[in-house]
Amino acid sequence: MSGRARARARGMALSPSAAEVGRIQASPLPLSVALSDSEASSSSDHVGTSRISQKFEGDLSSGDAGCTFKERVGKIRREMMDLSVCTREKLAHVRDCKRGSSGIPVKLVTNLFNLDLPQDWQLYQYHVTYSPDIESRRLRIALLYSHTELSNKAKAFDGVILFLSQKLEEKVMELSSETRRGEAVKMTITLTRELPASSPVCMQVFSIIFKRILKKLSMYQIGRNFYKPSEPVEIPQHKLSLWPGFAISVSHFESRLLFGADVSYKILRNETVLEFMMDLCHKTGMSCFTQACEKQLIGLIVITRYNNKTYRIDDIDWSVKPTHTFQKWDGTEITYVDYYKQQYDITLSDLNQPVLVSLLKSKRNADAEVRMAHLIPELCFLTGLPGQATSDFQLMKAVAEETRLSPLGRQQRVARLADDIQRNKDARFELETWGLHFGCQMSLTGRVVPSENIIIQDHICQPVSAADWSKDMRTCKILSAQSLNKWLVICSNRAERVTESFLNCLRRVGRPIGFNVNHPKIIKVQENPAAFLHAIQKYVDPEVQLVMCILPSNQKSYYDSIKKYLSSDCPVPSQCVLAQTLNKQGMLMSIATKIALQMTCKLGGELWALEIPLKSLMVVGIDVCKDAFNQGMVVVGFVASINPRITRWFSRCMLQRTTADVADCLKVFMIGALNRWYKHNHGLPGRIIVYRDGVGDGQLRTLIEYEVPQLLSSVKEASSSTSPRLSVVVVRKKCMPRFLMETGRTLQNPPLGTIVDSGATRPEWYDFYLISRVACRGTLNPTYYNVIYDDNGLKPDHMQRLTFKLCHLYYNWPGLISVPAPCQYAHKLTFLVAQSTHKEPSLELANSLFYL
Amino acid sequence: MAENNIEFTSVVDGDVEEVPNKKIIKFNPPLYKQRYQFVKKLVEQHQPKKVADLGCGDVCLLMILKYQKCIEELVGVDINEGRLKWNGSRLSPCMGDHLDPRELDLVITLYHGSVLEKDCRLLGFDLVACIELIEHFDSEDLAKFPEVVFGYMSPAMIVISTPNSDFNSLFPSAVFRDSDHKFEWSRMQFQTWALDVANHYGYSVEFTGVGEPPAGAEDVGCCTQIGVFRKKAKATESAVLEHHGEHVYEVIYTTSYPSLQQMDYCRRVVTYLVYREVNRMKQRCQVSLRQHELEPESADPGNPTRKFISDPPVPVLTEADKAMEMIPQPFCIGDKFYVPLERIIAYPRLGHICGNVEKLREFLFDVVELNCDGSAVKVDLHDCGDY
Repeated sequence: MSGRARARARGMALSPSAAEVGRIQASPLPLSVALSDSEASSSSDHVGTSRISQKFEGDLSSGDAGCTFKERVGKIRREMMDLSVCTREKLAHVRDCKRGSSGIPVKLVTNLFNLDLPQDWQLYQYHVTYSPDIESRRLRIALLYSHTELSNKAKAFDGVILFLSQKLEEKVMELSSETRRGEAVKMTITLTRELPASSPVCMQVFSIIFKRILKKLSMYQIGRNFYKPSEPVEIPQHKLSLWPGFAISVSHFESRLLFGADVSYKILRNETVLEFMMDLCHKTGMSCFTQACEKQLIGLIVITRYNNKTYRIDDIDWSVKPTHTFQKWDGTEITYVDYYKQQYDITLSDLNQPVLVSLLKSKRNADAEVRMAHLIPELCFLTGLPGQATSDFQLMKAVAEETRLSPLGRQQRVARLADDIQRNKDARFELETWGLHFGCQMSLTGRVVPSENIIIQDHICQPVSAADWSKDMRTCKILSAQSLNKWLVICSNRAERVTESFLNCLRRVGRPIGFNVNHPKIIKVQENPAAFLHAIQKYVDPEVQLVMCILPSNQKSYYDSIKKYLSSDCPVPSQCVLAQTLNKQGMLMSIATKIALQMTCKLGGELWALEIPLKSLMVVGIDVCKDAFNQGMVVVGFVASINPRITRWFSRCMLQRTTADVADCLKVFMIGALNRWYKHNHGLPGRIIVYRDGVGDGQLRTLIEYEVPQLLSSVKEASSSTSPRLSVVVVRKKCMPRFLMETGRTLQNPPLGTIVDSGATRPEWYDFYLISRVACRGTLNPTYYNVIYDDNGLKPDHMQRLTFKLCHLYYNWPGLISVPAPCQYAHKLTFLVAQSTHKEPSLELANSLFYL
Repeated sequence: MAENNIEFTSVVDGDVEEVPNKKIIKFNPPLYKQRYQFVKKLVEQHQPKKVADLGCGDVCLLMILKYQKCIEELVGVDINEGRLKWNGSRLSPCMGDHLDPRELDLVITLYHGSVLEKDCRLLGFDLVACIELIEHFDSEDLAKFPEVVFGYMSPAMIVISTPNSDFNSLFPSAVFRDSDHKFEWSRMQFQTWALDVANHYGYSVEFTGVGEPPAGAEDVGCCTQIGVFRKKAKATESAVLEHHGEHVYEVIYTTSYPSLQQMDYCRRVVTYLVYREVNRMKQRCQVSLRQHELEPESADPGNPTRKFISDPPVPVLTEADKAMEMIPQPFCIGDKFYVPLERIIAYPRLGHICGNVEKLREFLFDVVELNCDGSAVKVDLHDCGDY
């Protein structure tokens, strides 16, 4: 990967501004920090000014279709684009009411705050032209802002488009101003639109306003969130600082405008990249230092010492040293050492360090040439965690302990932010000039639906704990299991003894649950990935039902090579177990039970079921995952139930270019699934519900315009008479709202099965939140469901409860999970392909849960 | 955008080299930058603690000066409130200032007000810069100016720059360089005024300039003429510290930088440095332990590959290390590794920040584990926390 990044970078080395430092020098800090935050979200290129001005012709449009705005302003925030997609109006059965009815009401506190606006509040959008035309955005802004006519008004301006909360006296207003050079400039301000407060454009302007406010509260924007470096949480033994902060959003929920804030932490490494390199050099030795360095650093984000920018490390240029020169914007050559001394009074201590290379993509113009920035390691701080750190248990534990917040702790943080906003003079002033009033925290009423019964072979059980029925499982017979007659176990010589005792244990736990395990053929090999693979290639024949590998270490290459071979080249279910896991004293029984259940599933067995009131229902899960190996590729996974009981699953998976539409393969997958259903049930399913995960911001329209029609057409093609009815539900694990339950004086996570379908939902969507997990520590995140297409016409209550039921059916975990089981299966499948095999699994395995 | 900014900055500053269509004389670096560089050099030479920029405008000079390590208070005054408002946040500390704090405190304040009004918060400054300011005054204001700046503020040093009209002969048009200029002085006029003011208020003055004239026209002098005024008599401390007086200016923006003078930042930095040094010593110890185990394998000899970063700290004995031979050495007891505080404080940077062992111990209290008598830092010899 690094090689490619480098090639990419090298290829661009010839571009004119070869060194970013020169660029920085030109603009010490973007002026826009304070005066035109609008640039970040609605950044319009002033190059296109003339083009834009031609389009307007001075007329006034008050409607606001998202797409036209997009054309005009260039880049609209992606999640805002989703808001203009109204799906509910097409769903007749929920047009009036989308709320469910069952369950016990529960009072919940949210992390949302009311933002009140005067009833007749409007946002006025103006277009500004300059005569003579001025190209410099900063000058355009400076001229407009300094004009007395506008100086006391609340405004957001990006150089072309001006937003005001008060209407100017005239539709077209001409102002004249003078540059300090004495040149007269005429500014023409033309009203183009009047926007109601519910318009997505207004949401964007509100976001800008809050961005300014948080900056006034001494927070810094990194990515989309805001952090407070003055109150860091320190983990010195791991060289980490955690900056507390918030993710914020302003949005229209049901009937009101709400400000949402959620706690977020930014992890910063308290050392410079140079120090990191030195440490690494010491650990790896010189010989493989450069490779190790590239492997660890490329892709990480750094903060520079001297400005507020963040950069991604795309490459390391070992041939450039601080004593080398680069060309400044004015054409003069200067060494990096001199430059930093002159510009920032910084003396570089290490003159042998290489430079980090970052490719700068223009925000304004996607086609613009990619430029390179050279950064000095000594002046860069690392953010985030290097890949290997995430497998450092001690470190992750330390981070988790510091960042995990109890429901009460979380509430206090958010309340403090609200308080700060209300107390800060500047912040209050900013809100007031826009006519906004920051109101109180919103509470709402949710419902807790009853817990579900689990059906096991001989009886229906009501689990002791709804969240985890592993104890209940231990003695119960599972629904169906194939017995394991011919199978292989591959282990290293060292692991022979533990393997033996494990196999004994496996047989012992298998019997009561109804899983018969015969004695396997045991093959002992040397401790290296090639030896394992070689043994598999040698001993696997068509009669082998399953291959178990006892891996000597969690080195990725063992797992990857085995999985790759056994899922595509020679399709046989496989089970990898770490030898280390089997050494855990006293745990062997429960480990063996878990593995036995997993093996049953891989062989096509069924563990438990739920009461599903709908007969002939197929549920489908779709997920998308980026390929870890190949940046331009994504893995699309599709998992569909193939029996009415929803216990057997069919899966398909495909690797495709990121540029291709996910929809393209869905049709093939869907037809495959319907065929399979037909074969098993001698008919088509009456209903299909698709749970679509892995949807990014701004993709909703694509989903509705391409994916849903593809799914529909495959369903229609399947039958000439009555085709199955289809529903499509978008599943999102990440969402802004959080719900906490008040109990006495404190706050708790809401109980399992809590559903919220009012207040924090969107008026234009058929959506709801569901809590289908428990957490003993920390705060729960609800899962957000948005029904974007619904032919089934199920009552909202039924849709919600069915979704809840589906969260019980993930066989890798005897308990509830945060998403419907088909989504989790699809996720597991894509993850396996994206991380390990990078190859589509064989169709022969499509009927089993081989990817568990 | 960056390219545009340059132009913009210079335009707003009303620079001569940007006269439209008739760019005959071009300065490199641009003249406005040369002026700022001049002030910056003065700061480097004289190390003032308190610096004010009168007529700070777009705060460009303050942006440059905020990186100077000696300055502890930086003030900008301007009559244009709007410009201060939008530009204020450009002066706020950046994220890096929190990660690697300055040594000394720095407070930056922007005031909205007229330079011709007295505000006691501008008393006691070491350097006051009036860059391209006086030519914007009409004669009445110009007459008031010295009394406020020289008489009332009375800083140790004042730097005043203004256009040199002798140079204007090289420009094609015969107008002032900026439409707001009320006058442009020849060198003679400026120097007469300056000497007069200097004498009256007890200052000495030196004349210089930036923007060298082109070859052949040396006699017109520099494009911008500069007077550097220095107070002859040291201000009596009492007069300087009398800060009761009127607050006429309105504070538009103020920010305070994190620094090692602040206890929490100092403790943080000390903790990190201690951890770093202890870890380095520990690594060295681990290496030597390993070498004991698998003898003769010595550290890899003279590395054939090019050095990509300067030598890793471990194999090289620096001067500081050699000096430390005398100081208590780190030691192991069981699987614990101890580094005496005396050893830690012998590292120059830590020594510089903490001063003595007691102070260091105070800093480390409750943050880092010490041995029972509090004389050494105690860590596990073998940890899995490294990656």
